[in-house]
Amino acid sequence: MVEFSWVSRSPLEHALVTGTDGARGIEAGISLTEIRNFDLIQVMARRGQAAELGQAAKARFGVAVPDAPKAVRTSDATLIWSGPDQFFVLSKGGKHTMQTLEPALSGSLSDQSHARVLVSISGAKARTMLAKLSSIDLHPDAFPVGAAAATSMDHTSVTLWRGGDRTDGQAVFNVLMFATFAESLWHTMLDSGAEYGVDINHTERLA
Amino acid sequence: MRIACSFCGERELGEFTYLGDAKPVRPEAGASEDEVFDYVYLRDNVAGATSEYWYHGGGCRAWLKVTRNTLTHEISSIEPAAGAGAAKVGA
Amino acid sequence: MAGAQTHRLGNGGLVDRSAPLNFRFDGKAFSGFQGDTLASALIANGVKLVGRSFKYHRPRGILTAGSEEPNALVELRTGARREPNTKATTAELYDGLEAASQNRWPSLRHDVMSVNQLFAPIFVAGFYYKTFMWPAKFWEAIYEPAIRRAAGLGRAAGIADPDHYDKAWAHCDVLIAGSGPAGLAAALAAGRAGARVILCEEDFVLGGRLLSDGGMIDGEPAAEWISRTLAELAGMPDVRVMTRTTLFGVYDGGTYGAIERVNDHLPSPPEHQVRQRLWRIVAKRCVVAAGAIERPIVFAGNDTPGVMMASAMRTYVARYAATPAKRIALFTNNEDGWRTVETALGAGLQIAAVIDARPEISPAHRSLASKGGFPVLHGSVSGVDGGKDGVRKIAVSLTGGARAEVEADGLAVSGGWNPAVGLTSYHRGRPKWRSDISAFVPDGAPPGMVAAGAANGDFGLGACLSQGFAAGAAAAHDAGRTGNAGSAPVADDEVFSLTPLWHVAGKGKAFVDYQHDVTASDIELAQREGFESVEHLKRYTTLGMATDQGKTSNVAGLAIMAAVSGRSIPETGTTIYRPPYVPVAIGAFAGHHRDGTFHATRLTPSHHWAVEQGAVFVDTGLWKRAQWYPRAGEKDWLESVTREVKAVRSGVGFCDVSTLGKIDVHGPDAGAFLDRVYINTFSNLAVGKARYGLMLREDGIVYDDGTTSRLAEDHYFLTTTTAKAGLVMQHLEFCRQVLFPELDVQLTSVSDQWAQFSIAGPSARELLKQIVDESEDLSNEGFPFMGAREVTLRGGLKARLFRISFSGEMAFEISVPARFGDAMARNLMLAGAPFGVTPYGTEALGVMRVEKGHIAGPELSGTTTAADLGLGKMMSTKKDYIGRVMAGREALVAPDRQVVVGIKPTDETRRLRSGAHIIPKGQTPGPGNDQGYVTSVCFSPTLNQWIGLALVERGRERIGEIVHAHDPLRGEDYDVELCNPVFYDPDGGRQRG
Ligand SMILES: [Zn+2]
Repeated sequence: MVEFSWVSRSPLEHALVTGTDGARGIEAGISLTEIRNFDLIQVMARRGQAAELGQAAKARFGVAVPDAPKAVRTSDATLIWSGPDQFFVLSKGGKHTMQTLEPALSGSLSDQSHARVLVSISGAKARTMLAKLSSIDLHPDAFPVGAAAATSMDHTSVTLWRGGDRTDGQAVFNVLMFATFAESLWHTMLDSGAEYGVDINHTERLA
Repeated sequence: MRIACSFCGERELGEFTYLGDAKPVRPEAGASEDEVFDYVYLRDNVAGATSEYWYHGGGCRAWLKVTRNTLTHEISSIEPAAGAGAAKVGA
Repeated sequence: MAGAQTHRLGNGGLVDRSAPLNFRFDGKAFSGFQGDTLASALIANGVKLVGRSFKYHRPRGILTAGSEEPNALVELRTGARREPNTKATTAELYDGLEAASQNRWPSLRHDVMSVNQLFAPIFVAGFYYKTFMWPAKFWEAIYEPAIRRAAGLGRAAGIADPDHYDKAWAHCDVLIAGSGPAGLAAALAAGRAGARVILCEEDFVLGGRLLSDGGMIDGEPAAEWISRTLAELAGMPDVRVMTRTTLFGVYDGGTYGAIERVNDHLPSPPEHQVRQRLWRIVAKRCVVAAGAIERPIVFAGNDTPGVMMASAMRTYVARYAATPAKRIALFTNNEDGWRTVETALGAGLQIAAVIDARPEISPAHRSLASKGGFPVLHGSVSGVDGGKDGVRKIAVSLTGGARAEVEADGLAVSGGWNPAVGLTSYHRGRPKWRSDISAFVPDGAPPGMVAAGAANGDFGLGACLSQGFAAGAAAAHDAGRTGNAGSAPVADDEVFSLTPLWHVAGKGKAFVDYQHDVTASDIELAQREGFESVEHLKRYTTLGMATDQGKTSNVAGLAIMAAVSGRSIPETGTTIYRPPYVPVAIGAFAGHHRDGTFHATRLTPSHHWAVEQGAVFVDTGLWKRAQWYPRAGEKDWLESVTREVKAVRSGVGFCDVSTLGKIDVHGPDAGAFLDRVYINTFSNLAVGKARYGLMLREDGIVYDDGTTSRLAEDHYFLTTTTAKAGLVMQHLEFCRQVLFPELDVQLTSVSDQWAQFSIAGPSARELLKQIVDESEDLSNEGFPFMGAREVTLRGGLKARLFRISFSGEMAFEISVPARFGDAMARNLMLAGAPFGVTPYGTEALGVMRVEKGHIAGPELSGTTTAADLGLGKMMSTKKDYIGRVMAGREALVAPDRQVVVGIKPTDETRRLRSGAHIIPKGQTPGPGNDQGYVTSVCFSPTLNQWIGLALVERGRERIGEIVHAHDPLRGEDYDVELCNPVFYDPDGGRQRG
C-alpha cells in the first residue's frame, strides 16, 4: 500500500522567497510577513438572532463581538467584523475551529481557514505602499489600531485591519486575501513596495 | 463617485456594482404575466432624484438602496436592503 | 562643453551655474544648467525656431513658459522612451537630454511641407468636411494617410514603454491646486488650523508667478517669504507638498485626479522607481489657486518666432536668466505687460518700443519710458516682418490711422489674463464674464471647491494672499479643523487696467489657435457659413481641440466670433470644459495593469503541481487553468487531448475543477430559498444527496447551472459555473437581501476553501479506494450516483465526496481543504499509478462533455430557455421561482425555437468549427433561411470523428435530417446530420456504475 503524505502547502509557498526584494542598499521600508496555517471561521447570525449570537460569542470569547468595522483581540483569537451581523474568528492551534465553535455559537458557520491567505504589512513605508493598493484612508486618525475594513485591493476583495503596533511603534496592517488570488496580489504588493525595499518573511505565529 | 455604505462608511465607486431602478417590486407568486412583464422591463428614465440598487460586492456584500440625482450625481440618501443584516423581516 | 549659452545673463535667476548640463536638440549639442527647462535652455543658446505648425508647417518659436504652450512641442528622448508632443516649456533639463522637433521633413529649417502655406486657401475652416466627403472609399485609402503624413504631431515610439507607472490614493481635508501666493497662503492657513493638506504644483519649483515677478510680502522679498513659508509647512506632518504634480480633473464626491511626474526629470527612472504616478485624491475641500494664463492678441504674423507672451518673456529673463531677445518691443493692452519692460531693463536689455492699445498710460510708465529712452506708441501691432530666424521689424497702426515701424528681435505680447477656469468648470459649470478684467471667472464650482486669487480673477498680490489665506482657513474649518490660522500675509495690490483688444486687422495670417493653425479669418468664415454656436465653431474650425485644449486661444476665438456675429462675449458663451487639464499618459492610467499583470489572476490549488507536469495553461476569466498536459513525442494539442480522453474513458483520469463557484447556503429556510432561485426543487433533496439545478434570469432565460448537495438539514453546498461564480453570488445575495428578506438563510462563498478534483473513468472507484479510509463504503449501494458525503482519507484528513459526472463515466468529485490541494494531486497520481491515472485539462473535459451532450457556456448564451437546452422538464409547476412567469411567454415557448441538437459531418473526415450557420440543405444561405448555428465542437476520440452541438430551429424534431453548415467567416460549406446530442452512452449506464 502506498503511503500518502498530506502536506499543507500555502498558496504563497511558490511566490514567497524569504529575504529582500526591490531596492537594496537602503533600510527596507516595507516588511511583508505571511502568517501560515491559521484557523478562520466565518460566523453569521441567523435572522432575528444577532443578539443571541452576540451573547454566545461574549460568553465564548470574553469580549463583545464587533458590530462595526473593527477587529477585537481576545486572549487567544481576533474577532474581525466582516459585514452586517457577521464576523471572522481568527486563531491558531485548533482552539476555535468548526468543531469547537459550532456547538458554542448559534449561527451559520463556514470554515474559511483555507480560503484565505494572511499577510501582515509594516515598516516605515507601509502606509505609502498601501496607498497604491487600497482606496481606504489609513491615516492614524482615520484608521487607528483595531480599525477594520471589508474592502478591495487590485479589484479583489480583502479584509484589512490594523493590528497592535510593532514594538518600535510602527503600525501593522493585516490583509486577509482570497487564497486563489494570493500569488497575484503578492506580486502586486512586491511591485508596489519595490522602490522602498521589502523584507519578506513567513511565520506560523499570529501577531 | 463615492458611496457611503450603511455598514462600511464612504467608499470609492469601484467597490460597488450598479443594478438599476429600485422602485419596481417583485410581484407575488400568482401575479399575471403583464404584472411580471412590467416588473422586469418597465423603467422610468428619471432626470432627477431616483432610487437604485447598488451592491457593495468589493466590501461587505450588502445591497443598498441609493437615492441619487441623475443630473448632478448627488446622493441624498442610502439605506441597506431589508435583508442585508440578520434583522427579522416581515411576520 | 557644447554651445556657449550666448543668451544667458551673467548672473541671477534660479538656475544653478555650478551644475552645467549637456543636451541635444535636433542632433545639435547645447548646454544649460540645472533648473532650466528645455525651453529656457534653448533660449539661453539663442535658439528661436523650435517647431513647425500643424497644418501650414509655419516656423514656430516658444510662446509661453508653462503648460499652456501651443508651439514648442518636441519628441523627448529616443528609442522606446521617445515621447511625442512634449512641451519644451515644462520639460526639465537633465544631462544627456535628447529632443527633436516635430512635424518637419527633412529638417526644421528646410521643411518641404511648408509649401502647404502656398495652398493655404484650401486649408480653411471645415476643409476636411468639405473636401473628403466623397467618395467614401477614398477616405481610408487615400485621404487619411495623406493627411496623416502632412499634418500631425510627433511620432509615437511604436515599441513597448520600458518604464513603470503606478497609481495611488491620497486623502486630505484640504486639497490645493497651485503654489503661487494664493496657494501657499491657503496651505499656510489650512495647515495652521490643523487640516490635512495636499498642495499640488505642476512646476518643479514652488512659488508660481512669484518666481518671475517677485514682490514684497510681509515686508520682505517674495523669495524669502517663500522659503519661510515652505519651512513652516515642512514642519507640519499632515501637510504634503507635491511638486511636478498637476491636478487635472475633479470627479464626483470630492475625488480628484492628479498626475505626478516622478522621474520625468531624469533620463530614465532609477531602478525600482516609476516614471509617473496617477493620484486619486479624496478631499473634503479644494482650493483652486491655479492662477491665470496670459492671452495673446491676434494680429498678422503673431506666430513669428520671437513673438512671445510678455509674462513668459520676463519669466525667461528673471527666473532662468535667459534672454529671448536683445532688443524687445512690448505690445500690450494692460498695465501688467509693462512689468516685462521693467524686468528687461533691470537685466540690461534694450527696449525698442512699447505699443500700448490703451488711450492712457500711467505717469510712472511714461517716466520709465523717457528714462529708458524708448518710445511709447499708442496703437496696435498690425504685422510682423520676420521668419524662421525670428522677428526683424514690427508694423504698428497708430491710433488715429498713421503707421509706424519698430525694429526689434523680440516682441512681448500681453492681451490680459484669463483665470484658469478648467477645474472649477468640470462639472458642467459655465464661467461668468467679468468686464473689468475682460475675462471669464468661475461662477460657482463643484461641491467643496473654491477658487482663490488669480484663478478667481483677482490678480493683485495682496488680493491673492488674502483670498488664498481666507479660502484655506475656511476650507479647514469646513473640514472640521478649528485650530488658529493666525493672520494672512500682507502685500500691496498692483493697479490693473485693461482696454480689451482681441484682434488687429491686417494683411497676413493672424493666428488664434497656434497649435491647430486656426486663424481669425477661419472664425470669420465659420460665422459666414452659419457655425455661430461656440460648440459648432469649435468643431468646425478645430479651435481649442489640440493637445493644449485652447488654453491660449479659446477666449480670443470667442471674442472674434462675438465681434463678427454682433453679440457680446458673454452672449457667445464658452464651450463645456472637460478634464484632463493637461494630457495624461495612458500608461499612467494603466499603472501596474499591463502585460502579465493586466488583471489579477487566480490560480487553482494544484497550479504549481500542474506547472511541474508541463501543463499548457489557458486564461479562463481571471483563472489560469491547465488546458492539457503534453507528453514527449506528441505532435500537437489534439494528440495530447485525445490521449487524455481515451485514458479517462478506458481507465481513470482526474482534473482540478476548483474553479467552480462554491457557496455555503445555511439556515432553516435554505431549501425554500433554493426552491425560489432554481427551476427545480431542492427542499425535498435528502441529506447526503446532490442534484443538478438550473437557474433562470427573471426574464425567463437560463442564467446558470450546477450541482447542489445537501450536507445537513440546514446546510446546502451549491456550485456554479466557473464563469458566473461571482455574478451568481451577487444574484443570490440580491435574492436573499432584497427579494426574499423574510427567509432565514445565510450565504458564504467557499470557492477558495476547497480544492476540488473530478476523478472519472471506469477505474475511478478503484483509485478512490486507495485513498479513502478502509472503513468508507464506496459501493453503488453504499454511495450511489448523486451521493454526497464527508469521507475520511487515509491519514485522517476529512474530505467531501460527491458522486457526480460531467464526463459520462463513473465519476466522483472530491474536495479537500485548499492547502491540501497540491498534496491531493500528488496523491491521486500515486494512488492511480496502478490504473494508469492520467491528469486531464479543460480541453479533454470539454471533449467529454460534448460527447455526453452536456451544455456549457456556449449553450448558456443568454438567449436560451430551459426547454431550448432540453431541460424543460425540470421546470417545476408546483412552486414559484425566479423567471417562471416570463419563461412562459409566447415567444419563449414557440415551437420553432432553436434548440440544442447534436451534429455530425456527413463526411466523417471533416473538421467542424463553432459559429457556422445552419441552413436547410440545398438552399442558398441568407438571413431568411438561417436556422441556427454551431455552438460547440470537438474531435471525439470515442467516435473517431468531429462532432458538435448546435442550436437549430425545431432541432429535436429533425433528428436524422441532413442540413447545410455555412461558415462565411472561414469560407467553409458542408453538410451535417442532426442527431441526438448525447453521443456517448445515451442510457447513462456508465456513470451510474
Ligand atoms: Zn459595505
